[in-house]
Amino acid sequence: MERRSFIGKAAISLVTFAGAVAAISYLRQFFPRLAGEKRRIALGDPRRFPVDTFTFLEEHKLYVYRDHEGIKTVSAICTHLGCILEKSIDGFECPCHGSCYNNEGEVQSGPAPRDLAWYSVRRGADGKIVINPGERVSSDEKFLSS
Amino acid sequence: MENIKRPSGIINRNFFLHIHANRVHVHSMKPTSTFGLGIILGFLFLIMLLTGVILMIYYTPSVETAYQSVKDIVNVVPGGRIIRNMHRWASQGMVIVVFLHLLRVFYTGSYLGGRSLNWVIGVVLLIIILLSNFSGYLLPWDQLAYWAVTIGSNIAASARELTDLLGITNAFDPGGFLKKLLIGGESVGQPALSRFFTLHVIFLPLSMLILLGIHFWRIRKDGGLSRPVRYADDKGSTNKWYAWPVLMWTELGLFLLVVVVVLFIALLADAPLLEQANPSFPENPAKSPWYFLGIQELVSYSAFAGGLLIPVLYLVFLFSIPYRDKEDSYVGLWFSGKSGLKVIKRSAAFAFLLVILQLFVMIRFGWLRDWFPGISQWFVMLINPATITGGLFILMSEVIRRKRQSSRMAALALFTSTFVALVIFTIIGIWFRGPNWEFFWSHNQWPVI
Repeated sequence: MERRSFIGKAAISLVTFAGAVAAISYLRQFFPRLAGEKRRIALGDPRRFPVDTFTFLEEHKLYVYRDHEGIKTVSAICTHLGCILEKSIDGFECPCHGSCYNNEGEVQSGPAPRDLAWYSVRRGADGKIVINPGERVSSDEKFLSS
Repeated sequence: MENIKRPSGIINRNFFLHIHANRVHVHSMKPTSTFGLGIILGFLFLIMLLTGVILMIYYTPSVETAYQSVKDIVNVVPGGRIIRNMHRWASQGMVIVVFLHLLRVFYTGSYLGGRSLNWVIGVVLLIIILLSNFSGYLLPWDQLAYWAVTIGSNIAASARELTDLLGITNAFDPGGFLKKLLIGGESVGQPALSRFFTLHVIFLPLSMLILLGIHFWRIRKDGGLSRPVRYADDKGSTNKWYAWPVLMWTELGLFLLVVVVVLFIALLADAPLLEQANPSFPENPAKSPWYFLGIQELVSYSAFAGGLLIPVLYLVFLFSIPYRDKEDSYVGLWFSGKSGLKVIKRSAAFAFLLVILQLFVMIRFGWLRDWFPGISQWFVMLINPATITGGLFILMSEVIRRKRQSSRMAALALFTSTFVALVIFTIIGIWFRGPNWEFFWSHNQWPVI
């Protein structure tokens, strides 16, 4: 290869490479690093929840169920398109596209592609009871509070 | 010679005559050739720009203050209510007119005769108009805004329905990728509002402006508006009129008409503004703007099939029309003559019956999940009125292509049937769906919640 053509090719490859790096770094800015969506939630005193009832935790978009044995929590977000579910007599109903789930969070009808997520309830290191939305459990697992 | 030289002298100095050809064919001047829909869209866009700038001065794109600033525009800013009403109604006008324009261009075969590039640009403009409407919807930060965009962003993420079934979401998640790009987070919040604001006031209008310029320029470049073959080589001066002043007066008149109509509607009807967004309680029913209710109806069968698969296939179809059909002899001819009209009528009837039949079955007897509880999501996703309708329409159009040996007839059949289906799904979504997206004959039957 001649020196002139080598320098020419090297220059073009270098410019292309630099351009690609710049473009990727630029486009990368459109995708923020997300954190904090899966933060643990303090449940507080379990006795504040009525027995045999699903209670809606508004700010966390969760339903908390408590009975005489223990306590469990289920996501209130429809797996179809993210609307907030309403409690019906025998389960949950989505106001947006009519998906229905039973009390175990299993899809009964409508377009929802997945069952609802149940989150683990544990006693934290400091003795307080916390919900961990990062950890999924089955619908019959309860935190035995009493 | 004198009167021919004079207009060409004006041409060099006049912007109007740079957009238009110096002389325009009589056929293009006939109202029934175009109904002036394209130029009406241009005027509506001008109204959008002018009113949008004023709204932008008073609006603040922040979750805390957006809603209040819109209230201020309506109640405090002098004339603000009219400006906002004009912006809203002109935007809805654009959606209606852009679809009418699509119908006009398609049914007159105006993508033929070397006009394929302009057709493609037109479809991109259609998408930009819909996206502009959608992004504008979030800005007031009311209940409608919040839940429409929550649903919209999750439709973008609905590729997860497919990747979940394949079990590869953790490794390959295009749905989550798209959602993150759109709203900058897991749920709609300040990042989403900032992104939509930027899209709405910079990216989309700028793209529209550039493409609109090319769109207009291409008309001239492609030899003027489409006209039937019998006029193809019409060089005779008797069939061509000077654009200045005949066309100029026509367009000015049309502009005034558009402004008057928009102003009149803006004086009569207020743009809706619901309560401030509440992320804990969706409206019931939570309906998107009316022109997306056809898609929302499809989405209520399956998020992936109805929200992504079918709309993307439809866009692919629209883009591909001028490349699959090159029968230039049909150019500029409304409905491609008698045989075309027959195909249109038959495919419209077929589409009507097919969609109504499926809706009847679904509303009266339920669908797969009601008959076979616990059925795999694969069936729910792949067998529903959205996919069945789409599949049968494609099949029908292929049969017609084979039988009639005509790509134009096949295109007419597919375009007509899909459009009829879109209209029916939209009507169902607007007037016949109530709380929990259940079917009701009328609003009066909705249960009190």
